[in-house]
Amino acid sequence: MTFSIKRCMAIFQKDLKNLYRNLYVLTTAFMPLILAFVYSRMGEAPLELHMMILTLSLSLVGTFLQCAMIAEEKEKNTLRGLMLSPATVPEILAGKSAVTTLITLITTYLGLLMMDFPFANNGLLLVGSLMALVIFIALGTWMGLVTRTVMEASIYILPVMFIFGMANMFIGFVHQYAFLQVLEYTPGVQLQEIAELTGVTADWAQLWQPFAIISGWLIVIVALTVITFNKRMMD
Amino acid sequence: MENIVEVNDLAKAFGNKQALNGVSFQVKKGETFGFLGPSGSGKTTTIKILTGQVRQTAGTANVFGIPAMKLAKPAFRQRFGVVTDNSGLYERLTIYDNLKLYADLYHIAQKRINEVLEMVNLQSEYKTQVQKLSKGMTQRVLLARALLHKPEILFLDEPTSALDPANSKHIHKGLKELNRQGTTIFLTTHDMEEADHLCDQVAFLHKGTVQLLDEPKNLKRQYREDIICVELKSGRELELPLDASSAADIERFISEEIIERISTKEPTLGDIFVEVTGRELV
Repeated sequence: MTFSIKRCMAIFQKDLKNLYRNLYVLTTAFMPLILAFVYSRMGEAPLELHMMILTLSLSLVGTFLQCAMIAEEKEKNTLRGLMLSPATVPEILAGKSAVTTLITLITTYLGLLMMDFPFANNGLLLVGSLMALVIFIALGTWMGLVTRTVMEASIYILPVMFIFGMANMFIGFVHQYAFLQVLEYTPGVQLQEIAELTGVTADWAQLWQPFAIISGWLIVIVALTVITFNKRMMD
Repeated sequence: MENIVEVNDLAKAFGNKQALNGVSFQVKKGETFGFLGPSGSGKTTTIKILTGQVRQTAGTANVFGIPAMKLAKPAFRQRFGVVTDNSGLYERLTIYDNLKLYADLYHIAQKRINEVLEMVNLQSEYKTQVQKLSKGMTQRVLLARALLHKPEILFLDEPTSALDPANSKHIHKGLKELNRQGTTIFLTTHDMEEADHLCDQVAFLHKGTVQLLDEPKNLKRQYREDIICVELKSGRELELPLDASSAADIERFISEEIIERISTKEPTLGDIFVEVTGRELV
């Protein structure tokens, strides 16, 4: 099977133009920026708050954009047209994922910039964040496959926002509510772990664990998406 | 002539509902084939099977000599075009942007966009956002999109159902020209005049099976009533047998100059459909 960059770029350009005119999806996607702006006015932010903006941007924007784009294609019967064209599934998904990646990275960067996040010496956090971005885009793809409309997608995104996007905030209540301990295994909390560890040491004896947990998420979500996609290829 | 589509004993069930039940027909390369039937008779399901979107329950469906399911592979998608009633366009984008996307997906030069826009009479509207178009115009954009890559066979599901007579005529002219250039057309329609005007061969689909399959002129000959209709100037209408026994009467009417109108009674495809299936084509 060949992979055509031209076809991938055609889908990228189409989705970017389409998104630019879709105020509903864009407004939801830029919510982390509004939060970052509010927090930046409250003085110097602790690491937990930086990590919450990072995780919220990655999960909300990454998952919702991807999910909304696919759900809208299904809702408006345009996905069928693409599937009947010479575009392959990898080309279609790569084009869409490129748009999601671009917007998510811009939102995340601007959000952290507003909060004066120290970007220097955070290479490992960057690697972890990119892995988390892949997880959330795959999750968005899966959700796009199981939802039928953009409105449905915007409801499905709520648990993602609370469980993945705000885990860094909720984990602070773990002493009062033991069940919240499960949130320690979310990608966002693991990113915070990486940020905390790289702040004091770069010892792989400790760092391997958060990366292993993030990798586990990545494998599970990507596999779930691929299986669901293969099942839904036909009506 | 070589068959481009070969369907044998095709069946498709959706749960307990049998949409197709033993459908068989062939479409020759270069012909316009009309698949006629009322709503829910299985026309769209047949198109979906023939374009690899849906798998049949039983029977065979070959297009270009290969099983239709293989058409779902990207390598074969260059060879056919399809417009169904649920094909969609990107509503926030302009007509041109919609067509440019598909031109890029098919690796086609941009100048082809202008050619297809001209074919569907939309060249002056190319900057219009799709959400501002009427249903008829949207249908024409879908047709333009399906024609972009000059497919060998074009599957059209009710292509002029939402169009006014002038635009239908324009589309008919384009389809005839396309067919003249060698494109095979598989057309489903309710419009019997359209089928009569465009199709080399028609199949009547009813209750999931093909009830009748022939050239329109043969069907009309076969179902013709051998009757001469005479309308006299007095307003009286007569139906006379089409044989020598009527010659004396007609000769007398002519010599007395009392004939207002005289014609043979030829059935339309719609009349034949009703006679064969016992129901209207709606």
